Amino acid sequence: MDFSCRSADGILVAAVEGRIDESTWEAFAERMSAVIDQAAAEKLSELMLDLSALDYMSSRGLRVLTMAKRQADAAGLTITLAAPNDVMREILAISRYDKLFHISDSVDTGQ
Amino acid sequence: MIVRFWGTRGSLPVALKADAVRGKIARALVAANGHSITSLEAADAFISGELDFATGGTYGGATACVEIESGDSFFVCDMGSGLRQFGLSAMKRCAEGHQRTFNFFQSHLHWDHIMGFPFFVPAFDPAAKIVIHSAHPDAEDALRRQQEEISFPVPFDWLRASIEFVAMVPGEPIEVDGLKVVAEKQAHSHDSYGYRFTDSRGQTVVFSTDSEHKADNMKDEAAFITFFRDADLVICDTMYSLADSVSMKEDWGHSSNIVAIDLCHEAGAKRLALFHHEPTYDDGDIQRMHEESIRYEELTRDGSALEVLCAYDGLEIRL
Repeated sequence: MDFSCRSADGILVAAVEGRIDESTWEAFAERMSAVIDQAAAEKLSELMLDLSALDYMSSRGLRVLTMAKRQADAAGLTITLAAPNDVMREILAISRYDKLFHISDSVDTGQ
Repeated sequence: MIVRFWGTRGSLPVALKADAVRGKIARALVAANGHSITSLEAADAFISGELDFATGGTYGGATACVEIESGDSFFVCDMGSGLRQFGLSAMKRCAEGHQRTFNFFQSHLHWDHIMGFPFFVPAFDPAAKIVIHSAHPDAEDALRRQQEEISFPVPFDWLRASIEFVAMVPGEPIEVDGLKVVAEKQAHSHDSYGYRFTDSRGQTVVFSTDSEHKADNMKDEAAFITFFRDADLVICDTMYSLADSVSMKEDWGHSSNIVAIDLCHEAGAKRLALFHHEPTYDDGDIQRMHEESIRYEELTRDGSALEVLCAYDGLEIRL
């Protein structure tokens, strides 16, 4: 798993690559927590998670998203999941996480 | 080993209503359009070959009760409302010469997991021996209480079978009639326990119901991966979607289909039986959940395939 972060037009965009499963979820959790802290410190209102290079995420990764959402909610931050591939879209639908998160078709920051 | 499911529903028994039956018949008639079906045999073949399970069958509505056939005595996990049907089947088998010893293993003592015991006919058989294994020290209290006069007309002390309670300690295996059994503590109100059964040939069945795997406690799942390791069959609580289990139904003590699949993948288990179905789900909902579970297993598979079965009342699995 690779994780990177950039600011774009008042939105923090975090990009995750590879897969999030039993071997990578802890690193993903640490990076998500840090990036939410960063967004809160910069008083941003949105964190966009770019999933375009993510192969898939198991329930481990999805549950990291739940913990991240709780941290983000407490900081007044909205998390948007952006550009999931077809596999990830299916996983979001099967898990019903498409009802918990806003999902954007593209990484569109309005620029 | 043979595993028989006598009750697979969670929380509350449910029954098919007339409109659901009419819906099945209507779908079957539409599907039969153009077919020539002139005998019951042909109809049976059509149902098996052409109809999906939600149309041609039903997942049933009895609460948790699973029989494991191994050795000379009976092995039963939980005493949900499915226990009544098991008891009638067991009486018939006893009349044909089966040993009248019943080894129960209780996941926990919530109502839906003990409500079948007052209707368990072998408990009235003076020749029967009932051994109730539980890691809960208050198992006997729970069974006696539900047969107090305020709840039930027949008191526990009127039962004629020999009834014995055996307290198990999680992590400490015991051997019962050729089966090695070990209990694992699970997250559920008042605790629940999973059981891992291994026979002399090494075949293994895990019964893990009413077990919540929480989002903020994923490191603890290592214990369950060990518990499920290389099992031939894992019977898992898959009552909710993952989204429900981490939101409005968090701390209700249940798990999801996709967490069960992940745990089985990580453990190298061979088969998973989806179990403890949500009582508000109709047959179509459960079938959809089963199809989605199979698809999720395919999408996330990183090794050997895991066969994903969906338990229903009457399902028999030969290992």
